[in-house]
Amino acid sequence: MNESLKRGLRLGLIFGIVFIFFMLIGFTNVAATMIGDILGNVDQASVNPQLPVLNLITFTGLMGFFTGIAAYKKDANPSWVQVLIVGLIAGLAAALLVVGFILLIGSLNAQGVDFRTYLPNLGANEIQYLIFYTTPLAAAQRYILFIILFSIIGSLIVKLFSPGSPVNIALNSLKKNTINKLDVETLKSALKNRFVLIGLLVVVAVLMYFLPFVWGSYWNYIMGTVAIYILLGLGLNIIVGYSGQLVLGYVAFFAIGAYTFALLTAPQPHAIEMNLWLAMLIAVLVSTIAGLLIGLPILNLRGDYLAIVTLGFGEIVRILIRSDLLTALTNGPKGVTNVGQPFWRGQLFTDTNYMHLLMLLVLAGLFVAKRLKDSRTGRAWISIREDQTVAQATGVNTFRYKILALLLGAAFAGLAGALFASRNQFTGPEDFTLMVSVNVLCVVIVGGMGSLPGVVLGAFVLKGLPELLRELSDYRLFAFGALLVVMMIVRPNGLWPVSRPKFIKAPPEDCQDEPVEVKV
Amino acid sequence: MIEKLKKTRFTPRLALRLVIAIALLVYLTWRVVQVTASEAVFGPDTWLRFLISGLVIGGMYALIAIGYTLVYGILFMINFAHGEVMMLGTFAGYFMLEAFSTIPGPGNQEVNFLNAQPIIALILTFIVGAGVAALVGYLLEKIAYRPLRGAPRLIPLISAIGASIFLQNAAQLLFGPQRRQYSNPDLLWRGTGWMIPVGDKTVMLTYTGVFSFVLSILLMIGLFVLVKKTKLGKSMRAVAENKQAAALMGIDVDSVISKTFLISGALAGAAGVMWGIHNGLFNHYVGFIPGIKAFTAAVLGGIGNIPGAMLGGMVLGLMESLGPALLGLDFQIKDVIAFTILILVLIFRPSGLLGEALTEEKI
Repeated sequence: MNESLKRGLRLGLIFGIVFIFFMLIGFTNVAATMIGDILGNVDQASVNPQLPVLNLITFTGLMGFFTGIAAYKKDANPSWVQVLIVGLIAGLAAALLVVGFILLIGSLNAQGVDFRTYLPNLGANEIQYLIFYTTPLAAAQRYILFIILFSIIGSLIVKLFSPGSPVNIALNSLKKNTINKLDVETLKSALKNRFVLIGLLVVVAVLMYFLPFVWGSYWNYIMGTVAIYILLGLGLNIIVGYSGQLVLGYVAFFAIGAYTFALLTAPQPHAIEMNLWLAMLIAVLVSTIAGLLIGLPILNLRGDYLAIVTLGFGEIVRILIRSDLLTALTNGPKGVTNVGQPFWRGQLFTDTNYMHLLMLLVLAGLFVAKRLKDSRTGRAWISIREDQTVAQATGVNTFRYKILALLLGAAFAGLAGALFASRNQFTGPEDFTLMVSVNVLCVVIVGGMGSLPGVVLGAFVLKGLPELLRELSDYRLFAFGALLVVMMIVRPNGLWPVSRPKFIKAPPEDCQDEPVEVKV
Repeated sequence: MIEKLKKTRFTPRLALRLVIAIALLVYLTWRVVQVTASEAVFGPDTWLRFLISGLVIGGMYALIAIGYTLVYGILFMINFAHGEVMMLGTFAGYFMLEAFSTIPGPGNQEVNFLNAQPIIALILTFIVGAGVAALVGYLLEKIAYRPLRGAPRLIPLISAIGASIFLQNAAQLLFGPQRRQYSNPDLLWRGTGWMIPVGDKTVMLTYTGVFSFVLSILLMIGLFVLVKKTKLGKSMRAVAENKQAAALMGIDVDSVISKTFLISGALAGAAGVMWGIHNGLFNHYVGFIPGIKAFTAAVLGGIGNIPGAMLGGMVLGLMESLGPALLGLDFQIKDVIAFTILILVLIFRPSGLLGEALTEEKI
């Protein structure tokens, strides 16, 4: 009991601090607005000033709710009264912190102190909003009430669904019945049937063909970005996921691909205006060669050193591109405009055509990555990733395979870069900051290192989802950082981890339990 | 030596390294001769100016690099968020100075506290800056690294990258993206200093520069004494040598690691405040480039080696300020030089200037 109380107190304090932090970075207001969107009271503040307050109260309640859920200790299996007390304690701890903060800023604001010079999210309007347009004391009462109330509710609800409770038992029996009805086995065997599989694939292919027409250009743009990130993720997945070499300067190959393509096809600054497909091929080749050149000297470094050296390489490429030294070659900070556009039946590519091209290339990339993974090469990579020394001892030429991984990864990045430059019709040095490398790394890691569906999922989650949640764009990188840390602690294998083939020793068929007759 | 050379197998990789090394050496000597003797682009006053700025920035790099080296020596991980720890120290120092410049001084109401008692104000500023950074370093270890101890080495590194992005963006969201300016006391105003006559010109030796350099040297001496003479330093060295054996000898390994993060955070925070006082302008990106540079310095000196980090920081600071002039390149390329040095050091001497050969496990 004592321990669960302590846990409640600790989590309450943590949630209190998080809540205050949210207020300081202005997230509380944004979240309240989003809740307003969901509940349907948008832009009603002028009509009814109580409505935004309702949204904030909902957010407060949610925070309290999560506090209560987190404070519940699952393995202790506490009684109802204990759950009630833990929820109360956690809520109280969180509420006291929040209320202290609210009273502080509320009273200072009433005295005319301006925080905005130092804390831009705490302007007078925002503070008025945070104290519900009332006095700080009245607001404090509401905060205490809602946080504690919902914290208790949160704890009780977890208890309600925990094993052993009547609700849980009822749910379990329901699940059993429905699953029996659905008959998982039939479904599984149906999926194994070749015709069903082909049918499914055809449906998917038809969908993929028609979706870009239906979506419109905005969605084509977003999905195109996702597709480019899938390609990048596939490439980095070969380097990081398969062969286990942490490369933080992946953006360098992306930049080299994009710039090679752009300089070969744009009228400025070189006026080569080469054939698009040839230029794309050359872009891939050039970034592969760059991979070889950078890989040869550094790939026998391990882990952390490799990460930093490649990070330095990525920065070098970006700084050189925009420096005066290479302006004659790369057009410097202005970037390259009017990058070449592909033609289809004598017409310029529309966004739909681009989407189809990208989808095809993503499918091809997935195919290549899958075949590589299952090949002898793939097994060599995985052995290097698991233990380089052992891999070397078993006869894997580790250096050659690591170079190969880097080359293939660089080739993917070069292709993605060429597509990126062509689709945007522009490429500039600021497209290739370190954050691109980090984003791609996030795609690989969030999806699950070495997992192909994981890369696709990761690209959708990290590149598609933020487009849906436009209001939160300011908080995107912030959330990325937190996500990386949390993923590493909670789920280091990613959202869709690889299922590795296991070596199962088959029981010998002819000596099972029956006694063997021995003829003398 | 010759025996050793005879034994070395001549591989293509070795050949490549040799070619790179010889080409670099030839180019460097040619440039040095050209710049200094044949056409003398810069006068001696300019070289002195470069030297001064190199030493000042080198001192800060050295302080941050010590943090990397301490943590790497014990946990074998790059504390990628170390630059962000420094950034938060810069912010803390800034807020302290702002506060001191608004409250009135004791006795005299006309002058603010910052100018009435500049020494006390500066000491308090450094204590708060270092303290906040130390606290951030401590929490960082506790939240982002401790749960991952014993995981494959890629995992804590990724967690550190995440923490770095998180801290940087948290600072941006909290304090806004605009650049801010440190309000120094009049005593240490930027752009004032001693004038040193060199030939027919004068070079300014800024007060802030001298202050930062002296303070960083003092802090380094302090750290050296701490590591070599105190019980905590002894246990830190023991944990760096072998965690299990240290634990068996009755050392609380977790607490030693926490204290290491506290110390390295405090040094980074002090460097951050110095950065603000010396350079003036800063924003939430202030820690990123110094962080990477300081890591370079730590590698340059030999990672895990404290005197190495100090030497590496100084050498890197000097190379960065003298290098572009020596090589006849643009000053935009300053960062490229630092990264190129890092790559070259790792290729030719991964153990650094002062480092001993590391075992497989530690590399």
